[in-house]
Amino acid sequence: MAARQPRFNQQVLIDTTPLPDSIPKVPEIGASSAPLLSASYFIGARCKAYGDDYMLCKTESNGKGETECLREGRKVTRCAASVLDDINKSCLEQFRAHWECLDNNNQQLWQCRRWERPLNKCVFDNLKLEKTIPGAPENEIPVHLRKRQIFAHSIATQ
Amino acid sequence: MFGFSGAALSKIRAMQNGGKRARHSVDQWDRQMMDRDRRLTGFLRGQTDNVLAPAGFELSNAWKVERGFT
Repeated sequence: MAARQPRFNQQVLIDTTPLPDSIPKVPEIGASSAPLLSASYFIGARCKAYGDDYMLCKTESNGKGETECLREGRKVTRCAASVLDDINKSCLEQFRAHWECLDNNNQQLWQCRRWERPLNKCVFDNLKLEKTIPGAPENEIPVHLRKRQIFAHSIATQ
Repeated sequence: MFGFSGAALSKIRAMQNGGKRARHSVDQWDRQMMDRDRRLTGFLRGQTDNVLAPAGFELSNAWKVERGFT
């Protein structure tokens, strides 16, 4: 859209014109960065098809993706909202513990494995969603299942 | 002596960050997400796990306005 990111701005402009009525209204996700990071792998597990569609649309649209991929984006938003809703209903305690730890640790997932394991177990039991890291090499244990996290600050949080 | 000043500095940083440890190595993605948190909760380090955003959230993203350079 613009040629470069704005760097020297002194003012901001907030445009309060809503979208036209021809576009279906989907409420935005209300989760902030830490809960969203915590739930991201479960959103990926359930919404993989919609996410892949959206990314393909954005890649193929050659810069016009903001206006042309609204439909795929709405599907992604609805699916992610459904995952967050289910996690809030069934695993709220473990979810809150995990994202509060992430918030305290610079959003680094490897510092908070101790709280991630009960969350993964609860989500797998209730929602049948399993966290997998796409692109991980097949013949090694995935990072989130290893006993020792080599970059964590302390043993107690691993 | 270093322990005391280190503890005092980390206490000040925690007070500035709403009781949490400070964030470091913040890149553009993190800045964007922290701005989104501020639009959602009102605080730069505020977090919420609501499913739906508050009303008016879709319209609160600001355009950065630059004066033209000639």
